[in-house]
Amino acid sequence: MSSRTADIRRVALRHLLAAVVASRLGTVSATRRKRAFAVEMRRALEELGPTFVKLGQIASVRADVFGPETLEQLERLQDSVPSVPTRLIEEVFARAVGSPPGGVLDDFDRRPLAAASIAQVHRARLKRAYRPAWGAELPAEADVVVKVVRPGARETVRADVTAARDLLRRLPRVGPLARIDLAAVVDELEASIERELDMRAEGRSADRFAFDFREDPGVRIPRVVWPLTSRDVLVMEYLEGWPLSQLEDARAAGVDTRRLAEHGAAAFMRQVLVVGRYHADLHHANLLVTPDDRIAYLDFGMVGTLDAEERCAVGHLLAALVYRDAAAAVRWTERLGARVPPESVIPLSADLAALMARTLSAGDSDVRDFGTGLLTLLRKHRVSLGSGYALLIKALVTVEGVSRQLYPDIDMMAMAAPFVTTVLLEELLTADVLYQRAPAAVRAALRVLVEEGGP
Amino acid sequence: MADIDLIRALASWALVHEMADEGWKAAVDRGMDPALSGSGEPRDVVDGISALVYREKERLKAELTAGDGLASTAATGQAAPGSEVLEELRFEVGEVRGRLESIETALDALIARLDARDAG
Repeated sequence: MSSRTADIRRVALRHLLAAVVASRLGTVSATRRKRAFAVEMRRALEELGPTFVKLGQIASVRADVFGPETLEQLERLQDSVPSVPTRLIEEVFARAVGSPPGGVLDDFDRRPLAAASIAQVHRARLKRAYRPAWGAELPAEADVVVKVVRPGARETVRADVTAARDLLRRLPRVGPLARIDLAAVVDELEASIERELDMRAEGRSADRFAFDFREDPGVRIPRVVWPLTSRDVLVMEYLEGWPLSQLEDARAAGVDTRRLAEHGAAAFMRQVLVVGRYHADLHHANLLVTPDDRIAYLDFGMVGTLDAEERCAVGHLLAALVYRDAAAAVRWTERLGARVPPESVIPLSADLAALMARTLSAGDSDVRDFGTGLLTLLRKHRVSLGSGYALLIKALVTVEGVSRQLYPDIDMMAMAAPFVTTVLLEELLTADVLYQRAPAAVRAALRVLVEEGGP
Repeated sequence: MADIDLIRALASWALVHEMADEGWKAAVDRGMDPALSGSGEPRDVVDGISALVYREKERLKAELTAGDGLASTAATGQAAPGSEVLEELRFEVGEVRGRLESIETALDALIARLDARDAG
């Protein structure tokens, strides 16, 4: 057993004991007991570092597997650590770019803007102009952020992935774990971590989003300075704006937050239904409201993708929700890769219809309540979701939360309605589809006419 | 059958007739702006079709006015089919340029490190 594996076991055992004590040897109520264990699990993951925080974040979208107490704690996982000395960051920069920060940047701020376990962020200004992959030139003296991989982070997380693979292989397949493909989770963890360790991947995602939203004046994406970017360093445009925690300041400055909320929700629908690439981590720290009334997206470390077939299925699923058709929602959920036991289809449809009636009433829908209720139902009926679908549900719920913070009365289902209608019509209104479906439609129309004209 | 573009055909018809019907304009507005529509009623279907036809009509008008796809982009702010391909191509070239610049930086840094080691 490696020393890291032994460390992991020690930390896990210590927090397990703390949970047993906090739950007074399991004598408190079931809810308090579950919460005590969930809190200690979060603390253990945070103590174990970035790989395990990422593992928790991957698990946090699996509301079809874990209960609400666990999910609440997983969503609160913090990846914030003390900063490393700036001298070490400057050394990484010099090794990656071939020059110390002062050689190619002005006013490199030695105080970090943010420090996470994989990278540390500093602010600086460009010495000269640079041409991005897409968009206008970044002029000399433009403010930029410099994101640098912490020294030793790569080796640490790779050792952790190996240890996590070893430990997860040994876990007993009982309870919720029986419904997760643990090997697939570790593969996803490894891919996700490798992506985060390569700053160029984030730069490429930012470029792609900038291109996808090239015709949308309401969205800002930071431009990447490629000649100063490498595997360990990402230099990109610094965007001015208010984080969502300072919305009152934005409103006082005259920003129309209602319009922004509606525009942001529509932009998300466009990402999912038209482009097939969406920002899957739109939490508060990754969004800014800019003084010129735009939404700025930051941090492209987690991006979801959908192929044409999946986009079509999501469009149909959203249409089923908008028009409150539970049977169709179950059908399209299955088309998205969920495995619904045959005996559960009818009871799930009935439960879903009741949930839709309760949470998606016209003009007053609550996607968060619906999302939570849906995942509870899926758990109850033992439906297993693919991680892609779970990520999409989580992203949708997060976007609604953010939109509601901007404008509390926003109705996401109402926002989705014209969008899904247009998407479905574009698919439907092709001549060959019409040719196939017209006879049935004419027969249905005639039947209605005959029945209405009858005695 | 698949070669017929129904929306394009409706857009041509709308362009020729320059429809000024207030009801249609309202449907277009609702279909274009999610904030105005989305009641979840059958009317959304009409609004959606109206918006699609309107967009296609504007695109067609710009193409006819300007005579080519690139100019129509400038006129409408929306890419014509031909210019979309060009834009995609331009982006891919920009992406490749970015990658090359990044590789060049990494290579220069490596050479600088080797030089420093040799000098030391």
